[in-house]
Amino acid sequence: MPMTRRDFTRVVLTGSGLATAGTLTGGLATPASAADRLLVVQWGANWIEVSKQITADFNKTNPTQIAWELHSGGAAAVVAKIKAVWPNTQYNVLSVWDPVFRAMIKEDWLLPIDESIVTNLATIPDQFIQKNDKGQKMSVPLSTAGAFWGYREDLLPGGFNSVEDLLRPEFKGKLCVPYPIGLTGLFIVSCALQRGGNEKNAEPGWDLVKELASKGQIGMIATNNSEYINAMSSGEYSVGFWNNGGWYATAKNFPVKLKNRMPDNKSFLYNEGFCVLKGSPAKAAFEFANFFAEPKMNELYNMNLGSGPTQPSAKTNPMLADWYYKPDELSKYAYFADFAYLGSVMNEWNARWEREIVPLVRRG
Amino acid sequence: MTAALLWPALVIMAPLLLGPLLALGHESLKPFTSGRIGGDDAGALTLANYAQIAAPEYARYFLDTFRVGLISLAFALLLGFPMAHFIVRRAAPVTRRLLIGGLVGTLFLSIIVRIYAIAMTFGPNGPLAGFSRMLGIAPSSPDGAELMVVLGLMNTTLPLVALTLIGTLQNINPRLEEAAMSLGAPRWKTFFQVTAAMSLPGILSAGIIAYAFCISNLVVPMLVGRGSILFVSNLIYFRFSEVANFPSGAALSIVMMVLSVALFYGLLHLVRSNWQEAGK
Repeated sequence: MPMTRRDFTRVVLTGSGLATAGTLTGGLATPASAADRLLVVQWGANWIEVSKQITADFNKTNPTQIAWELHSGGAAAVVAKIKAVWPNTQYNVLSVWDPVFRAMIKEDWLLPIDESIVTNLATIPDQFIQKNDKGQKMSVPLSTAGAFWGYREDLLPGGFNSVEDLLRPEFKGKLCVPYPIGLTGLFIVSCALQRGGNEKNAEPGWDLVKELASKGQIGMIATNNSEYINAMSSGEYSVGFWNNGGWYATAKNFPVKLKNRMPDNKSFLYNEGFCVLKGSPAKAAFEFANFFAEPKMNELYNMNLGSGPTQPSAKTNPMLADWYYKPDELSKYAYFADFAYLGSVMNEWNARWEREIVPLVRRG
Repeated sequence: MTAALLWPALVIMAPLLLGPLLALGHESLKPFTSGRIGGDDAGALTLANYAQIAAPEYARYFLDTFRVGLISLAFALLLGFPMAHFIVRRAAPVTRRLLIGGLVGTLFLSIIVRIYAIAMTFGPNGPLAGFSRMLGIAPSSPDGAELMVVLGLMNTTLPLVALTLIGTLQNINPRLEEAAMSLGAPRWKTFFQVTAAMSLPGILSAGIIAYAFCISNLVVPMLVGRGSILFVSNLIYFRFSEVANFPSGAALSIVMMVLSVALFYGLLHLVRSNWQEAGK
């Protein structure tokens, strides 16, 4: 049957009208039982692998759809992304660490944790939980993590006993260290501690970093976990200062020795975990966070990350037996940095690194 | 009527390009308080963000960006022109199709994959680590990192340059070369005075596209620069994404844009005037 131009126009217009009507009423016709959807930001490497594994279990009993986005660079990068669009961010749950929790609490972006849903928060030690000025609990801590010096034993059988040793010629080009804004300046603080300073008296640390850079000891400046893991795994670099996750991923394939009990230096401890942004489907987000905080899941999560669980009843990965400290060792070997202060100097430290350190590394 | 055809594009592009640019310019003038996220909307506008990057140490980052970009571009042109010439003038139809397909195909491959492949191949532990040693460069040294960045940039610019020049060379009538040679011009003179001279507009276009890609690149220096080779784009990225100093990042962006546009028009003027002079 031949189709006239008028018939064709009628069919097209009718079709378009139906399609438009369908689109417009789509939202209204959504069934009440439709599952919520959460966009969760997580680190790459081991973090995302284990998170997906746990989420698969979560989805056996909870229909909430989980979409993932990975941190690009340090966790602080997500703060800038949110700021650019706030309050219209698409993110719901963020996996971050202490300094980033503090920055977001300061901006008043987070929902206080609803303990009637996140029931597992009750058994997590209170000192791990980040709070706002009103004392409300704002984070669900999942890991006790740390930043340490260490090396690959197969490449450096002798190792080193002090950060000062790293100035020796045999370490030329062997060091992989974080960009100062990575780990919120802990590398500079570690160097400062080495020379009798601290985060508020960082000048001795800058002097040591300058010595390391001008002697050509710093071979690579890494900006994220994947870069660090690749650098250490490739054998290009054998000594580094990084977080437990980077070390753990390296240690799964190569013999690694953490220098976390040096007589003249200290390692850093902090917490990582979840927080929920305002405007998120709160019930779904808290149920999701609660599932990860459940002791069995908390154990599984941390077994895969090389970090300590925050649930006292969860077992620690036996491989990490000497990575963390017994209570009586804490004062001797652990350092709890003032992240609020570090957050306030990051801009200056970043500019100073660009002006004073990179040119030295370049020449070295 | 012809001018009216421009309006739809102008109406869409003006807010897309000018709007963000104006916002960026405004952000670059806002004061920044360390520890805060973004500029202070309530504070008085200031030039402090520009003054900060006027420090002499920052000149090095601009110079590195332009210098490394220029080296990559030079190699891409040196290798891309003969490749395009071969494809247009010498290759059999099947070889031509295969080579053009290969060049186009590489552009579809993710830049991340290509850069990591280069790092694995030419890096200190790669099978071709000897390549940098051949050039007298230790693979794990900062110069080795610069070589990786040059190779990484070339990996994308070479196909771009070659494909652009294929179009240019195809439009040059081979009979002009034959005529020059039949009048006694040696092959090399024919190449430089006919083929290369007539290709100059194409070379210029390819060069501008490739150079713009190089100096605005973020990923290549970030992945293989090992923190010692940083482009201005990397500094901008750190400011926006890591320390949330939007005003300083915006100031760097504006300065980089002004310098790039000035460089572009300077080069364009230089090449055009010399080329037109030669044409006379």
